[in-house]
Amino acid sequence: MSDSAATLTQDRQKLEMAALSAPAVIFTVAMIAFPVVYTIWLGFQTFSSTGKQSFAGLANYSKLISDYEFWHGLWITIALFVLSLVLQLVFGVWLALVLFHAKRLPGIVRSLFISPFMMPPVVAGMMWLVILDPSLGAANYVLQSFGLPSSDWLASPSLVIPTVALIDSWQWTPYVALIVLGGLQSLPPSVYEAAQIDGASPFKTFQRITLPLLLPTIVTAAILRSVDLLRFFDIIYITTQGGPGNASNTLNIYGFRVGFEFFNIGYASALMLTLTAIVFGAVLAFNRLRGAVAW
Amino acid sequence: MKARMLATHLSLPVLAIAAVGAPSHAADYDWMKFKGKTVTFLANNNPVAQALLTYKVDFEKLTGMTLKVDGYQEQQMRQRLVTVMNANSDEVDVFMTLPSREGEQFAAAGWYADLTTMAKNDVAKDYDPAGLSQALLKAATFNGKLTSMPMNLEGPIFYYRTDIFKNCGLEAPKTIKDVEAAAEKIKTCDSAVTPFVSRGLKPAVAYTFSNMLHNVGGTYIANGKSNLCSAKGKEALETYSRLLRDFGPPGVVNYSFQQISALYRSGRAAMAFESSNELRTVMDGGARLKDTGLLPFPAGEAGQVPTTIGWGMAVSSHSKQPDAAWYFVQWATSPEVQKKMALQGIAPPRPSVAKDPEYRKWIDEEPVRKEWQAALDVLATKGSSEVGYPIVANPESREFIGQAVQDLILKQKPIDQACADADKALDALIAQK
Repeated sequence: MSDSAATLTQDRQKLEMAALSAPAVIFTVAMIAFPVVYTIWLGFQTFSSTGKQSFAGLANYSKLISDYEFWHGLWITIALFVLSLVLQLVFGVWLALVLFHAKRLPGIVRSLFISPFMMPPVVAGMMWLVILDPSLGAANYVLQSFGLPSSDWLASPSLVIPTVALIDSWQWTPYVALIVLGGLQSLPPSVYEAAQIDGASPFKTFQRITLPLLLPTIVTAAILRSVDLLRFFDIIYITTQGGPGNASNTLNIYGFRVGFEFFNIGYASALMLTLTAIVFGAVLAFNRLRGAVAW
Repeated sequence: MKARMLATHLSLPVLAIAAVGAPSHAADYDWMKFKGKTVTFLANNNPVAQALLTYKVDFEKLTGMTLKVDGYQEQQMRQRLVTVMNANSDEVDVFMTLPSREGEQFAAAGWYADLTTMAKNDVAKDYDPAGLSQALLKAATFNGKLTSMPMNLEGPIFYYRTDIFKNCGLEAPKTIKDVEAAAEKIKTCDSAVTPFVSRGLKPAVAYTFSNMLHNVGGTYIANGKSNLCSAKGKEALETYSRLLRDFGPPGVVNYSFQQISALYRSGRAAMAFESSNELRTVMDGGARLKDTGLLPFPAGEAGQVPTTIGWGMAVSSHSKQPDAAWYFVQWATSPEVQKKMALQGIAPPRPSVAKDPEYRKWIDEEPVRKEWQAALDVLATKGSSEVGYPIVANPESREFIGQAVQDLILKQKPIDQACADADKALDALIAQK
């Protein structure tokens, strides 16, 4: 076969492959691009209470700057993000270490440890709403049984964010633990053997070897949880709907209510795009961090 | 403000809307006209829809149509509706609506099909459109267009424990001051129970608070401006929040109907101000059947102006088969079906059903049902459908009412600041077109 004939065959194969994969590619791009482009377009529109629509330019974005609820929602979102992420990373690493070293732990116990994150968040929210009910819930009953004062939990403006962070951490710490456990299992045994020969204490081994080697895995877990935590919605919606007052009104909850309860889809789109930008920013920052700690 | 005062309609339908007069060709009504079609019903998964859908098969047998039910909780149902309607989609043919909440808004957005002609010209002989509560029909009429047909009659009523009242030497309260006095006494007399409970969850507050505001003689709007900082407005805000703060359960700011019903049913509340629709839930298990008294909310300086609303069935303006959809609406709001629903504890929006011997027999079976019906009669004759501000942005207005009440319950603001902040936000909403 001549060179020109071979090139022709290769070109034809490429063309055929492109033609065969085109529908899937077009479908995927359209499914991703359409909602994003549509939301961007909506962000430039204004909707009256009766649904009448008109072009608003950047008005929705300039409104963000002077909107107290936006800044408050941003603060709540960041507070919840930081608190939950720290709790989940600390306890996730701890749980992973427990599962890693407790080799004889029966499978059923391991499954129980990691079961919360398999529960739908709505079910988890409903369950904790009942448990934490200040009048009828089990949480206060237990506290009072030990002579401790009862708490308002989700009904207290000052406690609602820590409480929601605890609920989310209860659910998602096992997920972090699973990721970290995978990382632990892939660490090279030779490093530990060397440390043992050098007489390093278990704490020193953890501090100087395990933790630095695990950092890329931990950052990966942090990235995965960050995306969810910045979009925090379901548990808050089920338990407090952003209350009491606006004490748990995250950006996501605020945007949802503006869009679907007050029908201001344009402003809600602007809010959600801003939140998306924040999520992207956080992911990019964590990715850089992952690059820095890679080994 | 009694702008939407519900007139004496159960016995005297004097406000009869001409549009729903006598049917013109009802005798030869063909229920099988749309046989084979599928009607999609967007339902709120509340007791009203649950009772109605018990008879879904009857509708399908009668008409040969298929009824596809798309059921959600109330807020999720509205979200689905907003998405469908904004997309001009014909996915939904019939949906449930609260005219008192979203009526102005949905009507202005053009989401309701005009039922005026269908209710006049396309009804079965026994439908009796004039027999429906004329006041509720009026409340569902916007700019001369009938937008929905009433499914039920409801409003917040006062549940109280007769045994606790007796033990504490109390009489059934006649005024709001009596309620406060009773709560005070119960707090010391029976410390194991919560003296009073009502809605504290921000978006849910307006439903019960409006009754308080109207009873003390307050109005939401005066001279085109929000009126919460008027003397009556402040009195209502202070009284409502004080009752919940000083005598309500811990965490009342997260309380809506589910929590209130659960608390009262479990015997841990002496007084509850909650929807008449919750009777079935509250009586579930029978523990409260013999020790509960029911009243309209006790009077204030302006007497008793109970909140009275009703769910309605609307046909989507985007439906491609409004005539088939109307068949479902007509069947669901017919005297026969509403009587069946009434026997399940759904207060009928038809005086004829309320007087039906079978229904009366059901009512007479338990004293608490008699009191429930008596309270509903007051709601029907004296009620106002004004829940929140009578403006297009009514749902948003409820947020600010709830915020003011929560600010006071949680002692986050003094009354002057709470009402002023609410008035400022509400004035902006009122000014919106």
